[in-house]
Amino acid sequence: MNRTPVYIVCSPRPRVGKTLVSRLLAEYLDLENKYTTAFDINLNDPSLIDYLPKLAETASIDDTIGQMQLMDQLIANDGAPKVIDLGFHAFDSFFKMADEIGFAKEAERRGVDVAILFIPDRDRTSQRAWGMLQDKFGNATLVPVNNEQVLLGEIPPWLPADLLDIALLPGFLKTYIDRNTFSFNSFLRTSPDRSSELYQWILNCFVRFRELGVQLTQRRR
Amino acid sequence: MATKPAVIVVGADKGGVGKTTVSRTVLDYFSANNVPTRAFDTEAPRGTLKRFHPTITEIVDVTSTPDQMKIFDTLNTAKASVTVIDVRAGLLSPTLAALRDIGFLDAARSGQITFAVFHILGPSIASLDEIAETANFMSGAKYFLVKNFINNTSFFEWDQATYNSYFHKIKDATELTIPKLNEMAYEQVEVASVPFLKFVANKGQRDESANYSFVLRGYVRHWLGNVWGEFDRIKLTDIVGKDKGGVPTKTTE
Repeated sequence: MNRTPVYIVCSPRPRVGKTLVSRLLAEYLDLENKYTTAFDINLNDPSLIDYLPKLAETASIDDTIGQMQLMDQLIANDGAPKVIDLGFHAFDSFFKMADEIGFAKEAERRGVDVAILFIPDRDRTSQRAWGMLQDKFGNATLVPVNNEQVLLGEIPPWLPADLLDIALLPGFLKTYIDRNTFSFNSFLRTSPDRSSELYQWILNCFVRFRELGVQLTQRRR
Repeated sequence: MATKPAVIVVGADKGGVGKTTVSRTVLDYFSANNVPTRAFDTEAPRGTLKRFHPTITEIVDVTSTPDQMKIFDTLNTAKASVTVIDVRAGLLSPTLAALRDIGFLDAARSGQITFAVFHILGPSIASLDEIAETANFMSGAKYFLVKNFINNTSFFEWDQATYNSYFHKIKDATELTIPKLNEMAYEQVEVASVPFLKFVANKGQRDESANYSFVLRGYVRHWLGNVWGEFDRIKLTDIVGKDKGGVPTKTTE
């Protein structure tokens, strides 16, 4: 039976690179699969939709109707990979709601593979949030993400050794990819120099995501 | 040895406090625990409980002698060992008085029948006066005071000290709490007119598959689990004669 991956990119901390990872992942999945959907759950400042207006839509979990619209799509085994950019304001309420309605169990039953990409900071809030995810969502694939821009090479001892690494980019390249009009896929397609730092950086990220996809598939076997 | 018949009265003198909702959770609980149960809905002629549990519910007028006979004269002969009576608003005290008059309360006191009352408390101070009134009939019965928060976030207008002063007057009363259920989930179950358990299982009235929202089903399952946790805590199945060895009641199939 075909299974559908759902990636939840999250952190209880602001400005740790959630939208960057969501953009990269959504564009990678779009390259592999033409039916990718991304959801932007940022209460104050939705931004994924600015980068990916064709792939992303905004979602809200503030009220029951919003929760129904989002979660009923997330548990659909429709073959379309989904990426959720979960803003830090919504972290607690999303996972509380997901736990309460039995999201992980229902997803498993319906053939939906849930991967939670957790981007930690080095603070206690991140540590507590990681503990909560391990406690409540142990059935899902938990993927701690080492955004070198945030952790700067110091991996907190409460995290496992194998993290999904997002390498540090020089400031000028970071500014370049932060433009709303920038597309990773377009850059890969049109870049004349495959040895450039940005090209290699995007390629590395995509290779990590492919490995994650393989890991999700193998976990089922 | 045949199981002793058990009668559970769910009532309050005030209306709109969730009597039928609690009755529905009790019926679902017994269904999940394979306890044969029948129900009587005293909201004649229109019965809300019957709408949700039509196959096991009969509408009766509990103040009429023929219907009293229908309920109480059949306790030992009915296939179901448990009888749940959803008493409509304003009839709890008259019903208990009628039970006293026909000797039912004496039979409960002497151990021939298991008798339990779920007294649903409303937010007003009048509910506290009801406790004192109802308590007069409770000798020989298991008496449960149910704080029903299902539709309200902040519920009781009386303070805890006042409540305690009433609560402690009653010997052996046990307190139960029904937590709040998401409003939209509650409404959808109402619209679907199915037992909570069928809603959770995504089934219609005739067991056909339905298309209820996963989110709403999740909220109902979580809530029902908490309600049943309360019923497990008071050992409701033990009370009606079925020992399930302390195993928690699950809200999933």
